[in-house]
Amino acid sequence: MALNQLFFRKTIIAATGLFLCIFLVVHLSANCILLLPEETARSLYNSYSTTLRESPLIKIVAYLLYLSIILHVVFALLITIANRKAKPQKYVMNSSRENSTWTSQNMGLIGTMILLFIVVHLANFWARIKLGMGDAVGLDAAGNVDVYEVTSSLFHNIYYVIFYTVLAIPLALHLHHGFKSAFKTLGFYHKKGLRIVAKIALVYAIVMGVGFGIIPFIVYSK
Amino acid sequence: MKVTFKIWRQEGPDDKGAIRAYEVDGLTEDMSFLEALDHLNELLVLKDEKVIAFEYDCREGICGQCGVFINGRAHGPHDNMTTCQLHMRSFKDGDTIVVEPWRAASFPVIKDLIVDRSAFDRIIEQGAFISSKTGTAPEANAIPIPKEVSDRAMDAAACIGCGACVATCKNSSAALFTSAKINHLNGLPQGRAEEHKRVAEMTYQMEIEGFGSCTFTGACEVECPEGISIINIAEMNARVTKSKVFG
Repeated sequence: MALNQLFFRKTIIAATGLFLCIFLVVHLSANCILLLPEETARSLYNSYSTTLRESPLIKIVAYLLYLSIILHVVFALLITIANRKAKPQKYVMNSSRENSTWTSQNMGLIGTMILLFIVVHLANFWARIKLGMGDAVGLDAAGNVDVYEVTSSLFHNIYYVIFYTVLAIPLALHLHHGFKSAFKTLGFYHKKGLRIVAKIALVYAIVMGVGFGIIPFIVYSK
Repeated sequence: MKVTFKIWRQEGPDDKGAIRAYEVDGLTEDMSFLEALDHLNELLVLKDEKVIAFEYDCREGICGQCGVFINGRAHGPHDNMTTCQLHMRSFKDGDTIVVEPWRAASFPVIKDLIVDRSAFDRIIEQGAFISSKTGTAPEANAIPIPKEVSDRAMDAAACIGCGACVATCKNSSAALFTSAKINHLNGLPQGRAEEHKRVAEMTYQMEIEGFGSCTFTGACEVECPEGISIINIAEMNARVTKSKVFG
């Protein structure tokens, strides 16, 4: 029996998606350091990011993360192409609003917005700090790379603040549908359990959306 | 009452097809939707025009033949209902009602509103049955089955194969249909002997037929006349994994 593509692709998307969901929790927790008073935030944030960069374990997780994002995107693209082929002719009138959410019908579009965000976000931080592209990043008093300065200066540009905040909306929508669907895709079919998963998904999406969306504003107003 | 029908007309599988408008007077609110189409067809006969081809059989909501897309929804504006159970009282005088055939690559249009749903039959042929002869119904207590288990199997067995799930799904996924058929048999002791083979072969056929993948929009369970729960799809996914490991 050949590989069952319908299930294989979805399983990859769900598994990588859930891994990315865990990553986001860690990411947002670290971002909360930015809310502390400036000097404490600077030293904590910089020493935290130095620890991450120097830990071999984190290096493995980082490669897993790159791999997850790439697999998530590639398989989503493959699925979208196959799904479009499965419905070549659209309805003249389609009232899909009455039987499903807009988010669930437009995960590809929302995902593309998030991908655009990731590209800009990586250019802002990853390319500068890890690849050394653009302006050189200085050191703080403790001799750590001053990632705090990179963050703070970026979030003192109102256009970036707006960009980061607005793009937190598609993130929240994507997480809400993705989180609860991933469980079903991976074969979790306990009725009450799924209801709890749906509630957790809502809370998780709100916390992530508000968290990632509001921190740039707080940094801007500091 | 008077309504304007905008109906998909297509001579045959190779014809391009288009929407045509028909103003129909003399309808009553008590008429079923199919009776309204019958009425329109009678008017077309009198005008010596070709009648609109649409499928039906029982007209009592159990055969699954009468599936059409009405005003952007499978089987019309109500949740969990077949087209034959829809009545004109669900529309207002002067309404425009858009009627289209199911849209899916795996359900090609034969004529007007009739599509070829034999892809479902081929999925059924792959294992939605029990190979052993079971004879007449056994004594009721011979095989004890917990009520919960039999209820779940019966709920899945309620699927009438109308194709609304595929029609309404943006990916034309047949996951709800296939999962209902699989869970119906795999949940019961009689079906267990062939459970892994059944899952593997039916889901593989689903892929060969060109149905898309399930992305859990949930539209199917809202449009399903039998209210088959989307949880069946999650259960099927678990069974697919199980069949890969143990099958």
